[in-house]
Amino acid sequence: METQKNTKKTLPFRLNILFLIVFICFSILVIKLGTLQIVKGEDFRKEISRTENHIVREPVPRGKIYDRNGRIVVDNDGKNAISYTKAKDTKQDEILEVAKKLSQLIVVKTDKLTERDLKDYWILTRPEEAVAKLTKAELSNKKLESKDLYKLQLERISTADLSKISMKEKQVASIFREMAKGYALTPQIVKNDDVKVDEIARVSENLESLPGVDVFTDWKRMYPNGDTFRSILGNISTDEEGLPANLLDYYLSRDYSRNDRVGKSQIELQYEDVLSGQKAKTEYEVGQSGKIEQSKMISEGKRGKDLVLTIDLELQKKVEEILEKQLVSGKQNGGGPFLDRAFVVMTNPKTGEVLSMSGKKLTFKNGKYEVDDYALGTFTSSYEMGSVVKGATILTGYQTGVIQPNTYLVDEPIQLASTPIKKSWRTMGRINDLEALRRSSNVYMFKTAIRSLGSEYYHMMKIPLNYDAFDTYRYYFNQFGLGVRTGIDLPSEAAGLPGSNSPNFLLDFTIGQYDTYTPMQLAQYVSTIANDGYRAKLQMVKEIREPNLESDLGQIQHSFEPVILNQVDMKDEYIKRVQEGFRQVYQESGGTATSYFGSKPYSDYNLAGKTGTAQSFYYDSEKKKLYVDEPTFNLTLVGYAPFDNPEVAFSVVVPYVKSDKHPINKLIGQDIIKAYFELKEQAPVE
Amino acid sequence: MSTKNTSTSRLDYNLILILFLLFLASCISIYSAQKSGQYIDKFLIKQLVWYFVGTGIIAVVIHFDSDQLKKLSWYVYGLGISLLLFLIVAPASIAPVINGAKSWFKVPGMGSLQPSEFVKVFIILALARVIVEHHQKYRLKTIQSDFWLMIKMGLITLFPLVLVMQQPDLGTSLVFISIFLGMLFISGVSWRILVPIFSVGTTLVAIIFYFVLWKPEILEKYLGVKEYQFGRIYSWLDPYNYQSTTGFQLTRSLLAIGSGETTGKGYGQREVYLPESHSDFIFSVVGEEFGFIGASILISLFFLLIYQITKIGMETKNDFYTYVCVGVISMITFHVFQNIGMTIGVLPITGIPLPFVSYGGSSLWGNMLAIGLIFSIRFHYKKYMFSTSE
Repeated sequence: METQKNTKKTLPFRLNILFLIVFICFSILVIKLGTLQIVKGEDFRKEISRTENHIVREPVPRGKIYDRNGRIVVDNDGKNAISYTKAKDTKQDEILEVAKKLSQLIVVKTDKLTERDLKDYWILTRPEEAVAKLTKAELSNKKLESKDLYKLQLERISTADLSKISMKEKQVASIFREMAKGYALTPQIVKNDDVKVDEIARVSENLESLPGVDVFTDWKRMYPNGDTFRSILGNISTDEEGLPANLLDYYLSRDYSRNDRVGKSQIELQYEDVLSGQKAKTEYEVGQSGKIEQSKMISEGKRGKDLVLTIDLELQKKVEEILEKQLVSGKQNGGGPFLDRAFVVMTNPKTGEVLSMSGKKLTFKNGKYEVDDYALGTFTSSYEMGSVVKGATILTGYQTGVIQPNTYLVDEPIQLASTPIKKSWRTMGRINDLEALRRSSNVYMFKTAIRSLGSEYYHMMKIPLNYDAFDTYRYYFNQFGLGVRTGIDLPSEAAGLPGSNSPNFLLDFTIGQYDTYTPMQLAQYVSTIANDGYRAKLQMVKEIREPNLESDLGQIQHSFEPVILNQVDMKDEYIKRVQEGFRQVYQESGGTATSYFGSKPYSDYNLAGKTGTAQSFYYDSEKKKLYVDEPTFNLTLVGYAPFDNPEVAFSVVVPYVKSDKHPINKLIGQDIIKAYFELKEQAPVE
Repeated sequence: MSTKNTSTSRLDYNLILILFLLFLASCISIYSAQKSGQYIDKFLIKQLVWYFVGTGIIAVVIHFDSDQLKKLSWYVYGLGISLLLFLIVAPASIAPVINGAKSWFKVPGMGSLQPSEFVKVFIILALARVIVEHHQKYRLKTIQSDFWLMIKMGLITLFPLVLVMQQPDLGTSLVFISIFLGMLFISGVSWRILVPIFSVGTTLVAIIFYFVLWKPEILEKYLGVKEYQFGRIYSWLDPYNYQSTTGFQLTRSLLAIGSGETTGKGYGQREVYLPESHSDFIFSVVGEEFGFIGASILISLFFLLIYQITKIGMETKNDFYTYVCVGVISMITFHVFQNIGMTIGVLPITGIPLPFVSYGGSSLWGNMLAIGLIFSIRFHYKKYMFSTSE
């Protein structure tokens, strides 16, 4: 039982105790503070001065591409650009802050802004209203994670809300969008289209207060020659696309950034290493405060090296025109329903340099024919090439000893037990090897093939079951590049399709009616014959040049010397013999090409080569239909000139022509060889 | 003697000096914090305005004597409760949700006003009155009457506590509880009640901690609390393991204060970026720039403030005043201990400001209101003494 009086006494006592408690609390604070600042202070101090080094790689312009005569094929259009690089722990509101400042200095297009972008921006800039979009129950609902809440907010933002975003704010939102989307430590382009000089000036002046922002020269690929050779040049990815998904790991392991523009196809892809250049590397020392303490340029960066192609751009243009013209006129003059494509490949037989490669494809669009580029088809599509391969057949015959130079055989209709009568386009009687080439005898090849199978032709004979013969023939054909990759420096080259090994088909094989080859392989085949049996690797790029600030070519960094893939495993005299046969095809009366090339100006070029016709069936890849009832002909032509010192070799392939009498292959041959020599006269090459 | 009985002589100059020094500390550190470039607002100028208005509050409050305050106490308590109730029903246009809590009124021209900052003081007044009236009524103290007093005090605290907790605002709730505990302690309730209550309370806290740390799955199973909700506690005990999430602020704050070492890095020489450094984490600015010496001086200032209030509470012969003093002491002590404690890792992080120093109008005005009461005690108890001696 205490009294009020007692209470009076307890009051100061308890107040003293309370004060003691306060004293203890404050002492705890001071003691803890002392351990933190005095005892451990030095550790913290050290941690602060500990910095992290980050390396930022800045992109450099890509190398240019020139033709063999130094004409620009692919150029870069330099343009001013503003970029932003965020640090590893840059927060959204910090980016927004920079975006706000930047929006006062530059003007950007807002058309890329999506509704989602605007909603994100709305939530970021109006946090109070954004929270108000959620009910109390939702906010206290433990099951909803922050991303669920965010989703709800996104759903509930009305168009009326978005309409409150002013035009000025949309500018900020646009800039923010570009800035925020990149990866940390990877420069992200904020604006590179139509950047005004005064914008650059304003941003440059204010770089101090715009952390992460930089001004640099961006580039865009330019093609001064329009569509000429365009499909072989290939494409690069945009910075939106960045690294192609299928090559992501490959590129990332090679120091690429995810938003780098890289070669996606053809030359741009093949020579990515050369063209991409060395990025400028800057090392930033970032302190604990997140501020950049100092930066050090590790390497200055170098624009990509330039490529000099083996292609002669003028010739290429001419050839493309010729193909287009002949294809359209062929179509109009009895080419038939399936004629839709034609190819030309021209090389230097001694070096393997590709001087021109063209392919054109007709497509029926909107009631008329349009010509599309199909240069890729020269090494990605293959066809039965017909009699052009007979040179290889004769050579195989010589080398295996079944015929000798000047062996006579009788060209007569051949009746085998299992097949319909086989014959040449006309019955030629007793002919030798040269005549067989000149007049393109099928029977001469058949009889050679039968000998290879270990027999001699007789009426109603059965084909001997000798499976090795095929291997022998393909072994020698491969040495000319037929049925193997030509080694051309372009991705995804096709090797052609070999058929089965059945001896029944060897006869068809010897006249080019069985295995399929690409126009590129055909060019290598004729080049190998022209080059006395030396098969040169086909080459698209002649030289790699150091980047030069001026528009002209820089120093040669690497020159691609001709690469001889193999020497044909045959006696020299045999090859000379076939060369002579090829000469007669073009130059002697009775030659299958003489009527088109026997007169001036073609007779002056001293041509040699072979014509070819193969029966074929059109396959419609869209309708997936093979037209077996309407046979067509693949018309081909190979050649080289001048005969005694060849400097150009070519293959012409025109598949799916209605008639084997159609002259389209020879007309194209005439035009391209004429174009070659005319251009040579105008401006002597090298 | 009566010549000394002027209004100036009745002002507590010690208190004024301490307040002025805190004001200086506030201005200096807010100015440094706003320079971090994180915000565009000019915090310092606004804080100067808040201080100006706060001084006005003191000037008004100082004129109320104990009878008037006692009379007013129920009215202001009622006003506080109604404001907190109104917060719940008010539309978002008046009471927006900020940082996930609905604790503020939008006030044109000022920004936002947080009623709970004033309610603290209203609770102090109401509790003081209840204690005084209780003792007048029950002249003979019994265990029963002590229990009855405790229940009354508990109810007075409970209403605003519930309203604040649902906002939700854990920090302010804890302030209410510490005011209650402080005033319960001083109210004269028998040790026979206090000792069991405080020991049971401490044991309970210890048990909860044990479960949070070692058996969170049991809490989850029986109470439905998810493990992540203990993040605050985990990151307090082991901030470096939670550095990227809940421990971020603590590790940054420890780094800032620790690296300040004994003498600090010098004014404006901060290196550690820390969000909210102008408000809840203002102490880290002081710790980093002025080191152990500067931080200790600031803590000493608060200690002197408490000492001064304690002294006033001792000297006054008016029990009501003593209770008010204890309420204010409890409030300020908890604020200071919790705020500084969380920046140096003594306590888990709770969002309450450092009195008189952190940026913020509501908080400052609430504290000025409380200190205004202390001024009024000094202002009036002398007069009372004189009048009795005459």
